[in-house]
Amino acid sequence: MERHVHSAAVQSSFGRLEHQPGNTMADLPKDKIKYGLLKFIDLSGFKVFDPPIRLIFGEDPQKQIRDIAKFMLLPILFVGMCIWMWHIIGPNHKTKSGAVPGPWTVWNAYGESARFDEREQEKMEDFALEGAERIERISLVKKQLDEFESEAKKLQKISQETEEKGNEEQEKRLAPFKAQMESLTAKIKTAKAERKAAQVALAEKVTLGEAKPEEMIALFAKHSEANTADSEAKALIKAEMDEIRSDPPQEVQKAKLAANKVADEVQHFKKRLDILENSNKEVSKEKILTTIAEKKTELAAATDPKEIAKLSKSIAIAESNLAKADEKKLAPSATIFWQTKRSLATVFVGFMLAALIAIPVGIMCGLNKIVMACLTPIISIFRPVSPVVWLLIFQIIVGAFFLPDPAKHPLFVTLNNEYWFGWIKNPFAFLGTNPAMVFSACTVAMCALWPALVNTALGVSAIDKDHMNVARVLKLGFWQRLFKIVIPSSLPLVFAGLRISLGVGWMVLIAAEALSSSDGLGKFVWDEYQNGSSRSFANIILACFIVGIIGFFLDRIMIVLQKLVSFDDGSATA
Amino acid sequence: MSTLTALPDLKTKRSVEISHLIKEYPNPYGEDFRVVEDFNLNIQEGEFISLIGHSGCGKSTVLTMLAGLNEISDGGIIVGDKEIDGPGPDRSVVFQAPCLMPWLNSFQNVMLGVKNVYPHATKAERRQIVEHSLSVVGLADAMKKFPKEMSGGMQQRVGIARAIALQPKVLLLDEPFGRLDSLTRMELQDVIIDILAREKMTAMIVTHDVDEAVFMADRCVMMSNGPKAGVGEILEIGFDRPRNREEVYQDPKFFEYREHLLAFLEQRAHIKGSTRTFSDGDFMGFTEKEGADLEAAAAQEATSVA
Repeated sequence: MERHVHSAAVQSSFGRLEHQPGNTMADLPKDKIKYGLLKFIDLSGFKVFDPPIRLIFGEDPQKQIRDIAKFMLLPILFVGMCIWMWHIIGPNHKTKSGAVPGPWTVWNAYGESARFDEREQEKMEDFALEGAERIERISLVKKQLDEFESEAKKLQKISQETEEKGNEEQEKRLAPFKAQMESLTAKIKTAKAERKAAQVALAEKVTLGEAKPEEMIALFAKHSEANTADSEAKALIKAEMDEIRSDPPQEVQKAKLAANKVADEVQHFKKRLDILENSNKEVSKEKILTTIAEKKTELAAATDPKEIAKLSKSIAIAESNLAKADEKKLAPSATIFWQTKRSLATVFVGFMLAALIAIPVGIMCGLNKIVMACLTPIISIFRPVSPVVWLLIFQIIVGAFFLPDPAKHPLFVTLNNEYWFGWIKNPFAFLGTNPAMVFSACTVAMCALWPALVNTALGVSAIDKDHMNVARVLKLGFWQRLFKIVIPSSLPLVFAGLRISLGVGWMVLIAAEALSSSDGLGKFVWDEYQNGSSRSFANIILACFIVGIIGFFLDRIMIVLQKLVSFDDGSATA
Repeated sequence: MSTLTALPDLKTKRSVEISHLIKEYPNPYGEDFRVVEDFNLNIQEGEFISLIGHSGCGKSTVLTMLAGLNEISDGGIIVGDKEIDGPGPDRSVVFQAPCLMPWLNSFQNVMLGVKNVYPHATKAERRQIVEHSLSVVGLADAMKKFPKEMSGGMQQRVGIARAIALQPKVLLLDEPFGRLDSLTRMELQDVIIDILAREKMTAMIVTHDVDEAVFMADRCVMMSNGPKAGVGEILEIGFDRPRNREEVYQDPKFFEYREHLLAFLEQRAHIKGSTRTFSDGDFMGFTEKEGADLEAAAAQEATSVA
């Protein structure tokens, strides 16, 4: 306590020294804004932006510029240098799934992922459109489709031309190797024939007794050696040729890429048109309605009892289909953004589970030495267990609750229902909750539990003795002690633990998703690794950045929360 | 020969009775370490006692035992008509550090105990009690302030408000001003004196400061040196209440009381034996011969210790 008071005093005296010139105008609204901003920056942990803000408000510009140069420009330069090195080194490293993508390729991969997501949104929107809007949209899509088609044709042509040109160029580059190859093959052929002849001659000599059979064996050995040497020489030339072939000229690649991009758009717009005209919700409902009407008129005219039964049955089916059609929605595709949202939801659930278990248990451990002694062996043994092991255990244990048909389990039925009680829109429906997600969340909870638990126990057991004495003098009861003294005073450490927990949870989640193939960033990375297309390597690196950036922001959020609840250094008290 | 133990005034009620108080700390070899031995003291209702002695002599131990925060090894303490057993709201403590909950503002800090001690009071009544005790210590304008927005002196004021809000029979002050500068200390001394005059509480203050001990108390209890510390001498302070600081400080008696305390601390604190009480008029109280005897006894003790 004394220490805090002391440090606060020192800080404030420093503060006074620093702000002396501004003191006379401390009441100006401008200064209020300035100090408000500075406080916010301090709270959110982005201290880096402190000098630029002071500079904007004209406080000691020289010092601020020096600070900006030191703590902003240099780091930016350094990061830039790292990216530049990546740009240089990456593409030069050839792997079995192509060269390592450079920063630019990864950025493009992001653009493509974003476009993919947009397309999915458009399709879903098209599916739900009704009436005049739908008609309008059809004409719009048709117009755009025309434009794209003509452009696609143009680009296709250009691409073909450049490819031809590229092929010619390639042929030119290949020509010397081809010539080399031909001469080598001819040489090998004659050498082989000569060796065969020698073998025949020697064989005759052996039959005549003029030579020993050992000589014959030696000759064959030499022959096979010569054969391998020949094929190796051939392979060398072939490898060179392959490299030229696999690396078409830049222009060809670019033209192809551009053509493909537009071809993709064309494909997409065709699909949209198809949705709008054929499988749209309204259209499919109308179709069902017309069949029902037709059947009904038939039914009215029908006389044969068998016919009547058949017709009424099919009408009943059609009517039930009509009801279902209302609820129908285009299933979302697994875009990287959707995967990210799902990952966030999973980590949130897991983290909450961890906090719900860790905080009460941690408080009990901190309050009671016996509880602590009982739990210590359990904590010590289970804490180091790998998330992979937990995942497998949860798949078996928790999986048992969802048997026999997980899809019909009330939990998933509720979570995936579009509307609750028929009219409350379910905000979690888009997640498509499934058992795999539950297993991942449980794994996250299991691994994120420990830091929060240990820190909570530490925070509770390290309560200021003076505070406990006060509680004794005031005769506070157990619950009052717990809620008025124990919990508030241990909150900073609890949140420090929760912060570590969230970091651990986010890290564990990606691995768990990859292994349990629960949709999310982890599965995204795994799928990309498995499908091994030209773009997948870039997508993996893209996912790496997304995971990193989200992890960074989660940590920031926890820092802010931690600062809000700590009473000795933070700016907020309540 | 001066009067020894003054006869207890039967008209005034006894508020605290400490008899044969012992505090032992067991050590691993079975030889218990006795900090306080045979500490006897009776405190009248409304009396202000200051407890002074060398550091480490067990003053705070006695006070914490009286507060119930420290276990009593032997002997007993009676407050009112009941022997104490653990802490209770009839004896509230002002600690050396303010010990405020940093997450509560001054109002909430005081309310913390009030809620418990007045379980049947209405919300408005409790509110009134808290507001009253905060305004008594001069914090009427700082009820919504958090500890870290206040100076050490203000924080200690909240600590005092929290203690008096419980309306205890006995107010225990454990070096409450030890960490404050001398100006703030004087302010708070006046605050305490005002409160005690108004609320008629019994109080005990543990202090190192001789001036404080004389100025604030009705009786100064001087403790002999530890281990096995007990009451060495008791000095009755003859100033009237309410006391005015300037008048008291200029009174020649003040210096004589002060001298007495200092002389005890410097020369006689190590002498153990029966308690001597010195009342107004014969404070230095020793004849020349007695003084010489005491010196001799001190010398003897010193050699025997060596």
